[in-house]
Formats: sequence, C-alpha cells, structure tokens
Amino acid sequence: MTENVDLQLLISRRRFLAGSAMAGFAAFLAACGTSGTNQSTGPTNPPTTEGPGATGTAAPSVGVEATASAELNWANWCCYLDVDPNDDTKWKTLEDFQAAMGTVVNYQEVIDENEGFVASISNQITAGQDPGWDIIVVTDWMVARLVRLGWVEQLNLNNMPNYVANVEDVYKQQTFDAAMDHHAPWQTGMTGIGYDPTKTGELTSLKSLFEVNPKWKGKTEFLTEMRDAIGLTMLAAGLDPTKPTRADADTAVQMMLKARSDGIVRDVKGNAYTEDLTSGDAVLCMAWSGDVVGLVGDAPNVKFLFPDEGVMFWTDNAVIPKGAVHKGTAELMIDWCYVPEHAAQIEAGISYVTPVKGVKEIYQASTDDKALADDPLRFPPAELQPKLIQFGILNEEDEKYFNEQFAKVIGV
Amino acid sequence: MLQQRRRALIPYVLLAPGLLWLLFFFAWPLVQVFLASFWSGSVEQGYTFSLSNWTNYPNAIEPVLPHVGRSLLYSATATVLTLLIAYPLAYTIAMRGGRAKNLLLFLVVAPFFTSFLLRTLSWKILLSDSGVIFGPLKAIGLLPDDFRVLATPMAVVAGITYNFLPFMTLPIYVALEKVDFRLVEAARDLYAGPWRRQGTLVGAIVGGVLAAGLALAFDWSLVVPTIGAALIGAVIGRYLVSEAFVRVTFPLSLPGVFAGSLLTFIPAMGDYVNAEFLGNPESRMLGNVIQNRFLTQNDFPEASAPSFILMGGILIIVIIYTRLLGT
Repeated sequence: MTENVDLQLLISRRRFLAGSAMAGFAAFLAACGTSGTNQSTGPTNPPTTEGPGATGTAAPSVGVEATASAELNWANWCCYLDVDPNDDTKWKTLEDFQAAMGTVVNYQEVIDENEGFVASISNQITAGQDPGWDIIVVTDWMVARLVRLGWVEQLNLNNMPNYVANVEDVYKQQTFDAAMDHHAPWQTGMTGIGYDPTKTGELTSLKSLFEVNPKWKGKTEFLTEMRDAIGLTMLAAGLDPTKPTRADADTAVQMMLKARSDGIVRDVKGNAYTEDLTSGDAVLCMAWSGDVVGLVGDAPNVKFLFPDEGVMFWTDNAVIPKGAVHKGTAELMIDWCYVPEHAAQIEAGISYVTPVKGVKEIYQASTDDKALADDPLRFPPAELQPKLIQFGILNEEDEKYFNEQFAKVIGV
Repeated sequence: MLQQRRRALIPYVLLAPGLLWLLFFFAWPLVQVFLASFWSGSVEQGYTFSLSNWTNYPNAIEPVLPHVGRSLLYSATATVLTLLIAYPLAYTIAMRGGRAKNLLLFLVVAPFFTSFLLRTLSWKILLSDSGVIFGPLKAIGLLPDDFRVLATPMAVVAGITYNFLPFMTLPIYVALEKVDFRLVEAARDLYAGPWRRQGTLVGAIVGGVLAAGLALAFDWSLVVPTIGAALIGAVIGRYLVSEAFVRVTFPLSLPGVFAGSLLTFIPAMGDYVNAEFLGNPESRMLGNVIQNRFLTQNDFPEASAPSFILMGGILIIVIIYTRLLGT
C-alpha cells in the first residue's frame, strides 16, 4: 500500500515537473502578484489512500451508501463559509461535521478565479490522477465546461437525500446538468451597482455607468469579471445577456471603451474596487452584492443598487472533480450543508442567496436572526425574480472571442 | 600531472553551483517558455508544439503595440527621473556625507525592509484623491476637485521611479566614492572654474526641456511644470555644475550611471505591479498583458511570445546602449 502511494507521488511529481511547468509558473506569478488578500497556501496534506468507506465513526442515516472517511479536501472562495464565533480560525460548520462524522476537513480558500484554479488541477485530471481536492466550488459556466469535458464525478444521489429534497426549484433548470447529478449549487449572488448616494444622488439605472456626469466622472469603476461587466453593459443597452452573441459582445465592448475614452471610467478592477469605494476614490462601481454588504462598517454611505434593468445573477456550485479520492465523503459533506438548519447557520455568517429550501422559515421562527429573513440580498423578493439575469452559456470559441474582446476593456 | 589536472578542474568546481542554479532555475524555465511560444491548442484540449506556430509571434504582438510603446516610454522616463534624483543624492552622500555617510546610505536602502507590494500599495493611500496630500490642496482651492494622480500614467511613472531609486543611487555612489579628489583639485589648479553662468543656463534648459517633454508625452498641462523644472534645474546647475565636475567628476562616475540605468530600465520594462495598482486601463504595460494572458486567459502561447519579444527588445536596447556608453 505504502509503495503504491510512493509510486503515485513520484509519478505526479515527475509529471508536475515535466508537464505542468506552466501551471507552476502561473502559480508563481500569482504568488508574487496580486493575491494580497489570500490567506491560504494550498493543500498541505499529502494524498492518502483512504477511499470512501475506509474509516468512519458515525453511522449516517438509513439508505445512505457511503461512510465518512477520516479526511476531506475542500477548495473554496474567500468568505463562503461561517466562521466559528468563538474562534475565528475555525469554521463552525466543519467542526459540526467533524463531530458528527469524524472527518477532518482540510478547507482552503484557494480559489479567487475560476480559470486559474481549474488550470491548476487540469493536468492531474487529464492524467487520471488524484486532483488533490474532493470538493471544489466554481461558477455555473465553469461547471458547464467541466461537465462537457467529463472532468467532474457524477454524484451518487442516494448519499444526498437532503440535497435532493431541499435544493430550490429555480436551480433545476440548468441545461448543462438537467439531472442535477453533477453539481450542487453552493451560493448565489448578484452583480449590480455599488455607489455612494451622498455623492452621486439617488440612482436607479445601469445607464448611469455610461453617462458623463461630473458627479462620478473619473470615479466610476467596472469589473474585470468578463460575464459581469459585459452582462451589465448588455442590460444597460437593452440587450439580453441570457442569449449572448458576438455582436452583443462587440456592442458592449464598444460602450465600455467609449465610457473609458469619455473619462468616466477610473479603472477596471476585481475585488479591489471595494477599497476605492471605501476611500472615496470611486463613488459608482459595478459591484457584487455580498461585498457591498460587507462594507457597511468601513463605508456606511455605500449602498448596493438593484438597477431597474436587473442584475446579473450567478451561482457558484460545489462539484467533485474527476478522480477525487474521498468522493463518498464529499457527497456527505455537500448533503450536510443542504440540511436547512445547517444552511441557515452558514447563511447567517455570509451574505449571499442560499439555494436551500426552508432557511427563510428558520430565520422567521428564530429570535436572533429574524431580521435576516427580510434581507433582500439574502432573499430577493418575488417581484425581483424576473430581473435576476443569468449570463448564457458560451461555447469554447465564443468564450475565447468574448475574452479577447473584453481584454480591450481591461486595457491588456 | 594528476595535480595539474586537478588544478585545472578547480574553476569548474567553483563555477558548478552557480551554473547548476542558473541552468535549473533560469535556463530550463526559459526553454519551457520558448517552447510554449510555439504551441497551439488550449488548456482543455492540450497543447501541441509545431514550428509552424511562429505566427504566434506576430499575432501576439500586434494588438499590444500600444503597451510596448508605453513600457518603453514609462521605463525610459522613470530611468531619466531616477538619474536626476539619484545623482545629486549620491554625490552629496559620497562627497559631503562625512560621518553621516553610513546612516545616509542606510536611509537609501531602508525602504527595502518592507515589501515592494506594500510600498506600492501605500502610495495608493498617499495619492488618494482626497487623501493626506491632495485633500488639503483641494480644500484650499489650489487644485480643481476632479484632479487626480492615481489611475494615471503619472502615478505609474512616479511609482516606478520611487521603487527603483536605490538601484540607481547605489552604483552611482560607488562610482563617485572611488573618484580621486586630487584630480578635481588638479583641475581647479589648472583653471577649471566654477561655471556658475553656464551651469545655471544648462540646468534651466535641461529641466525645462525635460518637463516640457514629459508634459507633452503624458498630456499634462505644459506651463507650470516647465517653468518649475527650469527653476529647479537652474538652482541645481548653479551649485552642482562646475567645469571640474563636467570635465573630471562626471566622466569618472559614468560607470555608475551606466550600471544604475541598466538596473533601473531593464526591470522597469517588465514591471507590472506599478501599472496594476497605480495605473488604469489607459496605462497598462506589456507586463500586465503577459500576466493577463498567463493567468486569466490561460493562453500560454500568446503569453510566452511577447515575453520573448520583450526579452529580445531589451537585449537590443542594452546592446546599443553599451556600444554608446559602454565600459
């Protein structure tokens, strides 16, 4: 058994040197580059031989086929899980899971970009090796790509009764996974406008982003996330982002370039726009709902605007990468988060939209968290539902075209 | 015989660690990047190498010509600016430093005790539109409300200039330190005068022309910086420039100027941190393009090709520079 492991390690190391030098270089660039807020460094535990069913301390509920393994490796984005209120170095949900199942979860916030993260495990997946993670969380369009490539495991729904019972119906319309057995929605958020009404006055429309107005000229910022920026611009132009075409991309890119040459746009940024909103260097930004909620302490004037035209609506999803060693445990872990009480605990710690049924009712019944049930960013009211717009799925060639055109907006 | 052979081997043994290090961590990755520049394909489909993919080069470089221009302009400007700031600094430390010499040198290097990234990011706080510098100036009406330095080319050039200042200062200091002051005394004995009038004039012209050039290149207002720089130049010229300086000290310090310029210009050409944090889409440099293609677009071939063009371009510039000024 040990020899097996060593051999595998050897192969993967050699492959790493030979094949994934580029990925290594990319990671190196990232390490000396912009990832200033990233606290974690990556998987620290070596791969183990314990597959699903190797060990297990707690008996799962009747009908479930898997037993929990001793460890589980989970890669996620920043700020996507509830911190233990008594110890901010720990995750409450993972502690609970460990107490019930005996599994130590190696949870790392290593993802800050879909493309870059998937590139870091693509060599292992194509070589049929352990990708090092049992759960990864990626955005819908990336799930579509992974499903198309066969890079994710099919979920054994017998292990996931809570997921099957509690996933909100609105998530069941995905064309890329109609059977809902390759991905489980993790969190949903909105991309709209973050702005300071004391500086700009009350705004209602996305068109403000493209309007020359001395109040926000040179103090407006766009997002570097292609689908968010092009999507919002298409909405402002009256186009339909659910069916994006190359002509739409051209129109949107032209609009954004014009906004740049008009001097409206100060910069095009990723998450760092929040710093400029805080310092006042920016007063009007394309923004992510959860971010703006998190700014309350530093920039009390900054508000999230749900524009008349609608918001871009996206979902990050938990998937099990092909070749994951602890597949069964990963299914149990995802299912754990689909128990409404557990989801309510997670959701209270972060401010996104939960895909789990019954969470709102739990908040309504509780005394401490009653206010959360009325938070429009956690539970978008029914009249807003038609205005939650999902960016349509692009095929590979179109996606390359969109990215190339959008690079002009970023200025690279 | 055996001993002789052994002795012949010694240089190679001594070279070995350095050579191995370079081979493994410089040459090998370089070869990898070079090979990648001839790939076609994608991360998903895998890549294939073919010499017929030389078209990656023209394809990769054509859309980024403006970035190449900016990289050249910004790093050349920053090099000239660091030279103008570093020379008087190094001169003062070397010639007038006295007992404080070590302390002054330490102060030049002191910023290096914090991270490059942190220093650049803290400029964002300093230069913020209504921060500690511009806030009060705007409040008393000296600057218009929509004035800003952040997210402009000026901030990028200023950031590069600041970050590379020690690389210029130290080599010049070393060169000036070695200048035999008796040569200067001899020149003075041989009627090399103070040159006050010429120095003032030359300083004013250099300062004025430089500021005017910058103003035109970066699209700033022309009059105020030009006059200001001409005045500063005149003062510096009056008190720094003498015939002995022009004929003796400066030529002797040229090796330092040469080394300092290379140490500043070459890394500045490839820099992307300053443009990323202090600039905006209108001021992105070639380094930002390469970074984006590697990490966001995952287009390794079209990222590798401009990396090589950048290297080749710098090499050519350095060769020309060496021929002109070479030591």
